[in-house]
Amino acid sequence: MPLKLKKTIAPGLVTAFLFCLPLFLSGDYYLTMVCSLFLYVTISQSWNLLGGYTGQINVGQSAFFGTGALVARLLWTGGLPFIPALLCGAFSSVLLSLVIGIPALRLRGHYFAIGTLAVAWIAFLLAENLFPGVTFLPGKYVATYSLLPRYYLYLVIMLSTILVVFLVVHSRMGLAMEAIREDEEAAQASGVNMTKYKVIAFVISSFFVGLAGGAFAYFHVSYYWYLPFILMWCFEPILITFIGGAGTLWGPIIGSFCYVALKEVFALTLGEVNVLIFGAVFIFIILFFPKGIIGVPEKLQEHLSKKAKSRQSARQKV
Amino acid sequence: MLSIKHIDVFYGDLQALWDVSLDIEDGKITSLIGSNGAGKSTLQLAVTGIVKPRSGSIHAGSIRLDNQPAHKIVDLGISMVPEGRRLFPEMTVLDNLEMGAFSRKARKKLGETIEWVYEIFPRLKERANQRAGALSGGEQQMLAIGRALMSRPKFLLVDELSLGLAPLVVRHICRILEEVNRLKGITIFVVEQNVRMALEFADHGYIMENGRIVGRGPSRDLLNSEEVKAAYLGTH
Amino acid sequence: MEIGQFIIYGIINGSIYALVAVGLALIMGIMGIFYLAHGCMAMIGAYISFWLFQDAGLDPFLSIPLSMGILFIIGLAMYKGLFSSMKAFSPGQKIRNSMLVSFGLVLIIENMAVLIWTANERRVSTDYSGLTFDLAGLRVPYIGVVTVILAILVVFGLHYFLKKTFFGRSIWAISQDYQCARLMGINVDRTMLIAFGIGMSLTAIAGAIISQYSVSPSIGLDWVNKSLIIVVLAGVGSIGGVFYAGLLLGVLESVSAYFVGVHYTGVVSLVILLLILVFRPQGIFAKGAGI
Repeated sequence: MPLKLKKTIAPGLVTAFLFCLPLFLSGDYYLTMVCSLFLYVTISQSWNLLGGYTGQINVGQSAFFGTGALVARLLWTGGLPFIPALLCGAFSSVLLSLVIGIPALRLRGHYFAIGTLAVAWIAFLLAENLFPGVTFLPGKYVATYSLLPRYYLYLVIMLSTILVVFLVVHSRMGLAMEAIREDEEAAQASGVNMTKYKVIAFVISSFFVGLAGGAFAYFHVSYYWYLPFILMWCFEPILITFIGGAGTLWGPIIGSFCYVALKEVFALTLGEVNVLIFGAVFIFIILFFPKGIIGVPEKLQEHLSKKAKSRQSARQKV
Repeated sequence: MLSIKHIDVFYGDLQALWDVSLDIEDGKITSLIGSNGAGKSTLQLAVTGIVKPRSGSIHAGSIRLDNQPAHKIVDLGISMVPEGRRLFPEMTVLDNLEMGAFSRKARKKLGETIEWVYEIFPRLKERANQRAGALSGGEQQMLAIGRALMSRPKFLLVDELSLGLAPLVVRHICRILEEVNRLKGITIFVVEQNVRMALEFADHGYIMENGRIVGRGPSRDLLNSEEVKAAYLGTH
Repeated sequence: MEIGQFIIYGIINGSIYALVAVGLALIMGIMGIFYLAHGCMAMIGAYISFWLFQDAGLDPFLSIPLSMGILFIIGLAMYKGLFSSMKAFSPGQKIRNSMLVSFGLVLIIENMAVLIWTANERRVSTDYSGLTFDLAGLRVPYIGVVTVILAILVVFGLHYFLKKTFFGRSIWAISQDYQCARLMGINVDRTMLIAFGIGMSLTAIAGAIISQYSVSPSIGLDWVNKSLIIVVLAGVGSIGGVFYAGLLLGVLESVSAYFVGVHYTGVVSLVILLLILVFRPQGIFAKGAGI
């Protein structure tokens, strides 16, 4: 019992802290940045379920983010109250994942990556052409605009994403998913129904991404309709998850922290070259820390023990 | 002479070979026997430079091998027939053979060497333009050996000669290898699970278990020893 | 415009696509590196041609050897620095890591291009740029004919090189069985390095032609998009098929513009990609696998 208690106390404290955070932060700038952080954690953790745990590298997440945003925004600005609109957005995203996912998940290796990227690209081109221009918030919504409910919306969505992923990963489903990632043939041979688990991962993942998209639509007063469909939304969660450590719960969280912080610091200090430096840092991390930041203590340990071993064998030779 | 002295080989943190020492005499046929997974293939991979020993040394005569890259070791006259008859499946028989003569020295004598290989393996000449992936098991093994011979080696390493082949085919190939050894003086080092065949075929034998050498001697002596009979020939 | 004209333009476009895609077919199909930055390299090739024309008055076609050389060297450096460490990875790992690294490259290259060359669109206009001749009532640009001929020469030249020369076959061998290739005495490190350089330098040819249409820092992703479609259409690992796939895509796109309008041709080609992936993932023109 004491261990279980300990395991729930720490997250409980953090959650309480996050709920109280707006009291301590002065000004919209910081609140917005934290919202951004919550958004990235959500989309990265969702991606992590399919990509990190089940090993299916989905390069098309922007299609789902965009769909969630599009449907939610259309319905909301059309008169529907926000929460139903949000849920409709999320379910549209799920619908899309079923339509795309079932044929796509039959593809292996780079074909799945290319296929999902193609879907995202098509979604972007369609959005660009079918919905040109900017979406504006109707006057009454602008008048009552407040950052606070949006902060809590992002927070709740993020927490539920982490919770659901946590539960899935620690269940039999999670075991099956990791088996699929490690060796698809072996998993199939031991009776794992691959398609079922891949689809489940895809559906859960796209639900939360769709939710995040809806929250995005709620957050921004006006934006180009195509904005939630741009391909950056595909690459950022992959980037973040791998920086933090794919296939771990903390990976997307740590990665998002670093990503948001780094982007902010670079944008403030480096001006024009910030994206360039960012790209360089990114490449550096992929090359030297393929396991992500979570793998850093392990790598350090490895490095130190190798040094100890070589010192030992040098001593022995003498 | 190929001498392997006290080598340790690791795969990551897993140790595969422990303090292994072996001598392979010029012009003779030497066999390495032992049960599956004992580390026999690893030893050959270490000789060809695919895998590097963490300690110890490998020499071919006076030339040190273990500090050289794999492609240079081929130039030094050491050629290997890998386990499982790995060929270039998309290429034709002729292409595979020509790939075997990739090193500059071998390329100069390409025409001559191919004629010789076709002589010993006439079946390959018949199938010269067929995709290697379409050949039968025995033909693939012949192609793999022929390809290894294309580099005009002084040492030929063969990894698991008889795996998956019919006994008749194996005997045929063994006879050809014996001829090649006799006529061209090519030293042959065979790793083999089929103990009887390996010891009948070879002049000299080594036994490996769990990554360690546990027996050695002229193959006739090993064949007649009680331990070998009990351990390997009983279950054959 | 009648449909025949669309087909002419489709063939020309398709040839340009093939010229860009052939390098990717080598890098991705044969070397297994998921190289998202490929389109950016074509862009660099196009900029090199543009500046050589602008500052030195060098005709873009004549500057090809020079830009090929520059891109070859860039390719060597890039492989050495970024991808050589991945040579022993399993295919899955290699794809994932090379995709992420090349995405970082896209960020760097695109932004560097904006900083160095500005975001303005550039175009090379030579004396013969707009010249056309008449073919059965249809207008055919001279540049177009040169493009198609170049595409045929380059694609089938590379095919021949990979199938018939010793060095080319060693590249092919490495892609079939890495360890076996080492046992043949092939210096795999050096071979992969040069192969990557070759793949990059081929984009210089496409770049020279692209520079005569339009160049700006953001075209990289569009070109790699088209290249990916063609590589999959042809069959990953197929080189000769790239030419036919290019033609097919070019004509289909062009003809579809006639029906759905110019804005949606991108969607059409992507839908074609998806259809191929679902119904015939090994590609249309590959006989099984292999070159």
